[in-house]
Amino acid sequence: MTSYFVLQVLNGLVTGLIYALIAAGLTIIFSVLKIVNFGHGALYMIGGYAGYYAIHLLGVPPLFAVLVAMAATFVLGVIFERLMLAPLYTNKVDRKDEYATIVTFALFMLLENAAIVSFGPFNKRPPSFTDASLHVGMLTITGDRLVAAGMAALLLIGLSLFMQRTSLGQALDAVSQNRDAAAIIGIDAKRMFTTAFGLGAALAGGAGALIAPIFTLSPSMGDLPSVQAYIIVVLGGMGSVPGSIIGGMLLGIVEALGVGYYPDPNRALAYSNAFGALLLIITLLVRPTGLFGRAHVRME
Amino acid sequence: MALRAKPAISWLVAIAVMAALPHWLNAYWLHILATSWYYAILAVSWALLAGFAGQFSFAHMAFAAIGGYTSGLLAVDLHLPVPLGILCGVASAALVGAAIGWLCLRLRGPYLSLFTLAFALILQLIIIAEYQFTRGSLGLSVPGLFGGNSDLPYYYAGFVLVLASLAIMGALLRSRVGLFLRALREDEDAAEASAIDTSYYRILVFTITSAFAGLAGGYYGHYVGILSPNIVTIPEMGLVVAMAVVGGIENLPGAAIGAIFVFVASEALRSGGQLRFVALGLVIMLTQRFAQNGLVVLAAARLARATRRRAPSPKTATG
Repeated sequence: MTSYFVLQVLNGLVTGLIYALIAAGLTIIFSVLKIVNFGHGALYMIGGYAGYYAIHLLGVPPLFAVLVAMAATFVLGVIFERLMLAPLYTNKVDRKDEYATIVTFALFMLLENAAIVSFGPFNKRPPSFTDASLHVGMLTITGDRLVAAGMAALLLIGLSLFMQRTSLGQALDAVSQNRDAAAIIGIDAKRMFTTAFGLGAALAGGAGALIAPIFTLSPSMGDLPSVQAYIIVVLGGMGSVPGSIIGGMLLGIVEALGVGYYPDPNRALAYSNAFGALLLIITLLVRPTGLFGRAHVRME
Repeated sequence: MALRAKPAISWLVAIAVMAALPHWLNAYWLHILATSWYYAILAVSWALLAGFAGQFSFAHMAFAAIGGYTSGLLAVDLHLPVPLGILCGVASAALVGAAIGWLCLRLRGPYLSLFTLAFALILQLIIIAEYQFTRGSLGLSVPGLFGGNSDLPYYYAGFVLVLASLAIMGALLRSRVGLFLRALREDEDAAEASAIDTSYYRILVFTITSAFAGLAGGYYGHYVGILSPNIVTIPEMGLVVAMAVVGGIENLPGAAIGAIFVFVASEALRSGGQLRFVALGLVIMLTQRFAQNGLVVLAAARLARATRRRAPSPKTATG
C-alpha cells in the first residue's frame, strides 16, 4: 500500500515537472509582456511534432531532438510576437488586453487545425529515449519518464540560473517589474518582449518533445496540459517562476494521488483534470495571489 | 430627422427580408439559418461580455450545454413542458455563471478567462463520464419544441429569440449598467473612485450573458433533437469568437450578422474540412490587427459613406 503511494507520488512528480516547464514558459511571457498566451498549448504540441520529425526526417537522436524542438518553437514564437504582438507596444491597436487574448487564442486555433491538416488526426509516437527502466522493490518506473523528468529538471535549473545569473535574465526580470524604470537604465523593452515570448514558446516546445514518447502525439495533445499550466500559473502566483515550478509539481502530485485513490477507476481518469480545477477554486477562495504572488500590473 | 429614421428603416427592412427569406430557401439552407440563430445569440452575448465588460469567457459553450442539458434532461426524465425546461436551463446557466463570476470577478486580472477555460474542459469530461445521466458521447435525444418535421417554426422562433436577445442586451447597454460598464472598462480606478461597485457589475454582466448562452443551448437542443458533449469543444468556442470578432465585439447587431455570415460561409465551404478552421484563425488575427471594430461594422461604415456621397447630389443619382 505504501509502495503504491510512493509510486503515485513519483509519477506525479514526473508529470509535475513537465507541467512546471510549460507553466514556467507561460509565466515568463505573462510577467514580461503582461499577457496570457492562450496559444501556449499549441506551441507545446508543435514542439512534440518538431521533435518527432527531427528524429524521423533528420535522423537526430531523441534527446537532441528536444533541443531541435525548442529551437523550432523559439523561432515560431518570435515570428508570432513580431507579427502579431509587436503592435501592442506601439499603440497601433486599441484595447490591448482584449487584443492579446483574442490573437493568442487565434494562434491556438490556427496551429491546432494546421496540425490536423498537415500531420493527420491520428496519434504518432516517437522512439523512446531509453529502453531501460528503474526497479525499486516492487515498483517500476520506465526510463522514458525518468529521462523526461531529469531533462525537465535540468531545463528548470538552467532557467533559474539564467534568470538570476545572466544580464539578459536580469534585464527580463527588470522589465517584468517595471517597464519605465527598466527603460531608464537602458534596457530595450521591445527586445525583451521578443526574447520572453520566444523563451516561453521554447520551454513549451521542449516540454512537448519530452512528453511525446510517454503519451504519444496528437494535434489536441496541448489542450489539457495548457489548462493545467493556467491553473499552475494562478496557483504559483501570477508571474512568479519559482511559484510556477513548485505549483507544477504540487499539481502533478495532487492529480496522481487523486487518480490513484478515486473510488471508481473508470471515472478517475476523466476526473483527473477536475482535481486541478478544485485546487484552482481553493486558491481563488483562500489566497487569490497564489503561493508566491506578487503584485502585477496590467498591459499599459 | 432623416438620420434618426435611418436605423429604424434598416432594421425594418432587415426583419422583413429575414422573415420572407424561407420562401426562397430549400430545406438545407433553412436548416443552416435556423442553426445560425443559435450561434447568433451566443456571439452577441459573448460580444457583450468581451467588448463591453472587457472580460473573456471561454466557457460560453459550456453555459450553452448547461442550458441545453438542463432543459433536455428535465424533458426526458420528468416530462416537463419544453418551454418551461428552457427557462429552467436559462436559470441554471445564470446560477452557475453567478457562482463562477463571484469566484473570479472579485479579483482584477485574467482570472475569469483562465478559470472558464478549465471549467469548459471539465464540463465536457463530466458529460462524457456521467453517461448514465447524459448518455455521454452517444448523445441525449430530446423532444422538439414543436411537433412535426418542418424547420419553419424553428426558423421563426429562433429569429424572434435573436431579436429579443438583441433588444434586451441593447436596452441593458443603454441603461445605467451600460454606462457603468463603459466607465469601468475605460478606467477601473476612476470608476471605483466614483463609487461604482465594479465587481458587482462585472458579475452581473457575466451572469446575464451566461443566461443568454443557456437560452441558446436550450433552443439548439430542442431544435436539433440531440445534445452531445461536442457542443462544448474548443473549436466550437473558436467559431463563436470568430463570429464576434468578424462582426465586431463592440457592436451587438454586428456580432449577430457576423455569426450568420461566418456560419453560412463555413457550411458553404464544408469541403474545406479542417482548413476552414486554419483560415478562421487567420481571419481572427487579421481582423483584430487591421480592422479591430470588425469586418461587418467596417463594411456597414463603407456602405453608409458610399450612399451618403451619392444621395445629396441628384445628378449622380440619375446618371
